[in-house]
Amino acid sequence: MKICISSTGDNMDSSVDPRFGRCPYFLIYDDSTETYEFVSNASRNAMGGAGIQAAQEVISKGVEAVISGNIGPNSFRVFESAKIKIYTGVSGPLKDAIEKFKANQLTLTSGPNVQSHYGMGKE
Amino acid sequence: MIISVASGKGGTGKTTVSVALAQSLGYCNYYDFDVEAPNSDIFLKPDINHYQKVYVKYPYFIKKEGVSFKACADFCHFNAIASINEDYVFFEELCHGCGGCILVGPEGYVKEKEAEVGEISKGFKSPGIYFHMGNLKPKSMRTSNVQADLEKMLDEEQTVIIDSPPGNSCSMVNAVKNCDYCILVTEPTPYGLSDLKISIDVLKDLNKKFGIVINRDGIGNKDLENYLKENGYKILLKIPNDINIAKTYSKGGSLLDWDSDMKEKFLRIMDEIEKEVGR
Amino acid sequence: MKQLTIISGKGGTGKTTLASNFIRLAKNHIAVDADVDAANLYILLKPTILKTEEFIGGPIAYLQGECINCGRCEELCRFDAISDSLTDIKFDSLKCEGCGVCEYVCPVDAISLKAGKQGEYYISDTQFGKFVHARLDPGAENSGKLVTIVRNLAEDIAYKGNNDLIIIDGAPGIGCSVIASLNGVDYVVIIIEPTLSGISDFKKIYDVVKFFGIEPLIVINKKDLNEENRQDIIKFCSSNSTQIIGEIPYDERIPLNLANNTFAVDDEASTAGKEIKNIWEKIMSLG
Repeated sequence: MKICISSTGDNMDSSVDPRFGRCPYFLIYDDSTETYEFVSNASRNAMGGAGIQAAQEVISKGVEAVISGNIGPNSFRVFESAKIKIYTGVSGPLKDAIEKFKANQLTLTSGPNVQSHYGMGKE
Repeated sequence: MIISVASGKGGTGKTTVSVALAQSLGYCNYYDFDVEAPNSDIFLKPDINHYQKVYVKYPYFIKKEGVSFKACADFCHFNAIASINEDYVFFEELCHGCGGCILVGPEGYVKEKEAEVGEISKGFKSPGIYFHMGNLKPKSMRTSNVQADLEKMLDEEQTVIIDSPPGNSCSMVNAVKNCDYCILVTEPTPYGLSDLKISIDVLKDLNKKFGIVINRDGIGNKDLENYLKENGYKILLKIPNDINIAKTYSKGGSLLDWDSDMKEKFLRIMDEIEKEVGR
Repeated sequence: MKQLTIISGKGGTGKTTLASNFIRLAKNHIAVDADVDAANLYILLKPTILKTEEFIGGPIAYLQGECINCGRCEELCRFDAISDSLTDIKFDSLKCEGCGVCEYVCPVDAISLKAGKQGEYYISDTQFGKFVHARLDPGAENSGKLVTIVRNLAEDIAYKGNNDLIIIDGAPGIGCSVIASLNGVDYVVIIIEPTLSGISDFKKIYDVVKFFGIEPLIVINKKDLNEENRQDIIKFCSSNSTQIIGEIPYDERIPLNLANNTFAVDDEASTAGKEIKNIWEKIMSLG
């Protein structure tokens, strides 16, 4: 299945970005074919609702799970209603995050792990 | 005639000057445009006799099998609605109330309701000050809506005094764009000077006449006065740095409470402004 | 990495003085000026600009084709941004919020949305570490968006450089730029003066900060200005279980220091400087 990881850069040497909606890049990784692509986050500097836009973008890529440091309530609500698995509190190199995901070592998140952001800023 | 009182830097004495001018005139229409942090009522002490709510419209969506709100999500420039299959998520705090989702969405399934974003209080202070103050509801962020409703109430039957919000962005422009003359209040510190220069740029862009009031005169340095002299900008008044003014202010007292001679000074400023505006 | 924002509700209560002295005392931090339409932090920090970028604001409507004067756009615009559409259409760039309704309803595609430059933002070096700041064009909109951009940039730099703190000097008021400076921060310091207007504005910003789920730290500035008001603030804070982290005395040396380009915390004779140091140490001990 396809997963999405928020990334600090556009290559496999990058790390998991602690921000979801405002991260510079998304890694879209398919664990069945072991193929991947980096997508730049167009909504990063959006006036408001960056996380909402980013979440819809990611969903449209057909991912079934997202991995990030933090996911704000806005993106969380969108992912939740799309029934996408959410893993937060993840940091370190992208490669490690992928390995942990494959080994089933990440824990599912049940709620947004950063406070209400009220749209305008971070996500 | 409309006189706006503005200042790039906050806390330099906009309200102090606006209130003193209003009290000196005795007869005027007063508008507090600093809707995020309005304070004129504390100093003018009007009898508030009317409250008028400021509303904006927000949409709500009626969910039904086979009805998709994707068109709304695609249209919304503020990302206030997300659409996932037949489901949707609406974020009211991002909505500007433009009504676009009703135009593009499934007919009959997007409706609207009103939400309160602020309030305008109206009052009277004898002998003849008609008072209007906008007050934004915390968290609603719709500063411009409250200012727009205030703007609709502007009445030039008597001299109009507008107390502007601080800064040099759109909310300040909303408070000065209709004026015939702008009083810029500043203080002789590097901060005061830096922000004053930007305010002057705004007023020049808008082609407005203006003059300067220096508050807390005596603190900081001479850079402000040198700058004003070099550029030939008019100094209307200097208010000294006096802890007793600050103490009077802290209790809700005005400049006229501190020194009754101030009234004459403000009336003289008014004469000068009238001459310059040509009325 | 932690983020600390200094705000006040009412303007001119000492935000920048407090922020600049914190920046002077901090180690391994990034400084951000989030008061983008009246920025002052640069005055004491004396930045050397390393990189300048254009700030492109939100798009607004303009006429790109031949108007047939049908009046449809004016009728549907909720922001009174269009006038004289039956004769000679005009757009009010101040009132336009860029919602795109006019563009959508125009039967001849004569209206388009376009974003333009509304300011600049900078990454700078200072004697006290990296500094991200901006200048909104005079009278421009979208200050909240610009604040978001400078904060994103500061976070990028901090993650790369392993900085452990971002210090953000906020704007007055409770509007969009203030809210953009509060999103996702760890600590908020509200600095207030014991004046009636100061208290009134404080209560509004207090509500906003609480809404974000952040427990604000309160600093009373010019504490000796009015004892009755000071007691009111103390009462309000204790009944809301909010911590007053320090009280700065009225000190004539503050404007003097500023005029001389010096920091209060470096001035042995400044009583305010001494208290600011205490406050900083208390914040640092919060972890």
